[in-house]
Amino acid sequence: MSTVAEPGHRNDGPTAATAPPLVELRGGPGGINVAALGELWAFREVLWAFVVRFVKVKYKQAFVGIGWAIIQPVAAALVLAFVLGRLADVPSEGVPYLLFALAGMVGWTYFSTAAGTAMESLVDDRELLRKVYFPRETLPLGAVGAGLVDLGPGLLTLFVFAAAYGELPTLAWLALPLPLVLLVLSAAALGLAFAGLNVYYRDVRYAMPYVLQLGLFLSPVLYPARLIDEPWRTVYEIVNPVAAALDGLRTIVARGDWPDWGVTFAALGWAIMLVLAGYAILKRLERGFADRA
Amino acid sequence: MTTMVSFEQVSKRYAGGVGRYRSLRDELARGYATVLRRPVQEITTVEALRDVSFEVVEGEAIAIIGPNGAGKTTALRIMSRITYPTAGVVRVRGRIGALLEVGTGMHPELTGRENVHLYGRILGLAGRDIARRFEQIIEFAGVADSIDRPVKQYSSGMQLRLGFSVAAHLEPDILVVDEAIAVGDAGFQYRCVERMRELVGEGRTLIFVSHDMSAVETLCDRAILLDHGEITEEGRAGDVIERYLGAVEASRVEEGAPLGMASGDRLELTAVSIRDKAGRRVVEIPSGESMTVRLEYLAREPVEGPIFSVGLADARIGVFSLASMLVDGQVPERLDGSGHVDCTFEALPLYPRTYEVWASVRGAAGFGDLVDWQRVALVRVTGDPAGTGRGAVTHTLADAPVRMPYAWTIESESTR
Repeated sequence: MSTVAEPGHRNDGPTAATAPPLVELRGGPGGINVAALGELWAFREVLWAFVVRFVKVKYKQAFVGIGWAIIQPVAAALVLAFVLGRLADVPSEGVPYLLFALAGMVGWTYFSTAAGTAMESLVDDRELLRKVYFPRETLPLGAVGAGLVDLGPGLLTLFVFAAAYGELPTLAWLALPLPLVLLVLSAAALGLAFAGLNVYYRDVRYAMPYVLQLGLFLSPVLYPARLIDEPWRTVYEIVNPVAAALDGLRTIVARGDWPDWGVTFAALGWAIMLVLAGYAILKRLERGFADRA
Repeated sequence: MTTMVSFEQVSKRYAGGVGRYRSLRDELARGYATVLRRPVQEITTVEALRDVSFEVVEGEAIAIIGPNGAGKTTALRIMSRITYPTAGVVRVRGRIGALLEVGTGMHPELTGRENVHLYGRILGLAGRDIARRFEQIIEFAGVADSIDRPVKQYSSGMQLRLGFSVAAHLEPDILVVDEAIAVGDAGFQYRCVERMRELVGEGRTLIFVSHDMSAVETLCDRAILLDHGEITEEGRAGDVIERYLGAVEASRVEEGAPLGMASGDRLELTAVSIRDKAGRRVVEIPSGESMTVRLEYLAREPVEGPIFSVGLADARIGVFSLASMLVDGQVPERLDGSGHVDCTFEALPLYPRTYEVWASVRGAAGFGDLVDWQRVALVRVTGDPAGTGRGAVTHTLADAPVRMPYAWTIESESTR
């Protein structure tokens, strides 16, 4: 070669001293281990590239573009406020029902969109799975990350509505990242587990919209969690971390109060376990993806 | 010598049957049958690789050849970590750059530019390396004008070229190439082969799968022959190619035999034989010697002015050499009863391989067959693959059959 050696460009092959280690490839189910986590870290740029791609692809050829991130929750909240707040008179903890519903819908829209996209991500990109290696979890995780781009404008809208109703930021707003982290973890757990299962059983693809729709009613989006009596409410909010997240988000933004610490941290712990379980399911199935996708 | 890739008794089975994925219902049905100790319906499997072991050392250029469905692509997919072995262990050292028609994984909604960045990342290039090589990549692919258009507006050739180009600009420890040279026009193929040679020249390891024996012989030192998932030959590329081409030819000969002799009502070819210059019946003729094709006939009634034709063919469609009375006009006046017609080819200018002998007999008018045009015999021309060039084995065994005396003269008009 006549080119000048560039930095990081080897002109001779790897020598024994610098040779990378042998990687062993075997069949059978995989699992989570240090090597797998190390590899995910090594592929962090790929994860980021997928986040960017999900965002770009979503708004290509969309005239209103990112505006949909505001239109969706606001339109839903308006309809809900009219039907449930006015006509059915659903209680809303003394908060104006529109603000109450908007807080729920902003959080729920992020969760359901992120989890839904993540669950479809591996099947949608089967061509990629069949052509090139990368740790497969980067695709569903990328979808979960990309959803945050929509959550931003949604939250801003929520803050504007809150301010319009006289709810200005209080010290409790410092706790805002906690419910958001809970939402991200919940979406990641569901997304990882079902993205992998979806490759094996396309039944997942058909069941998913119903499951997410049921989730909307099983989570305190339209009604306050306080409708449920203690101690069941605490159990419910921990087992369904989305419930803890939505309740926390609403408590902070619409009422200016601190979230329930016990519930929040217990839910965080449980959500982390769910993420690990989802990750383990994906890793267990991963080696068969290319043959079945 | 550092081992870069090793296969240790690797087998790969695919679940057969209809459809690529099982439904939950099938799975439940199987579980149900197992619980009730009913016989479970066996899932038919296809064995793509069977107990395959080999090793590739650093800096080596190795080819995997064999007929379609031999398991070549499966082997590449396993070492590229796309699919996993059913049994056995595969070990891989360092980063693999795989050129397996990667372009088909591009995202149609994104522009060429966005895809290059995304793809480069997925294939293992750092962001700054992609930026540094961006111009090179799009120039290599020849898509500079449309780089900011969505890839869905690209032709399939452009997509493939762009994908290949990104992959070709990686600096992998092991380069894995599957038939990728078939991508694009002559200029692009040239750039691809040059890039592969460049990487091999830098001491990187190349694993190459192709049906193009000429490319294999040119690029690789060593070759592995796979057949029905098993390694049947392994060794110097030229030797393995020679045996592979020999086997391909043998199966072709076998398929063609026996050579049916359609007999006309009036005239019949009763036997066809190949004879050497001494008139002995043979099945082989050394290249450069003369060959006689003897057509034995039986005329059931007198035939006026029959026109004989004898042609030679190799694996390609149509004969490449024809000896016909239709051309030379040496037509016998009249045939009656039995006898033979000899057609002698002087000093066969042919490369060594098996040739087909075709023959027909027409009526005096020049059309209207007495005996249909058909393959009547096989002859093996023997000799060593000649020459010391890079493609000597493949080209003498499988390329153009006729060997004409020639000479090169090179004159430089000026020097720079």
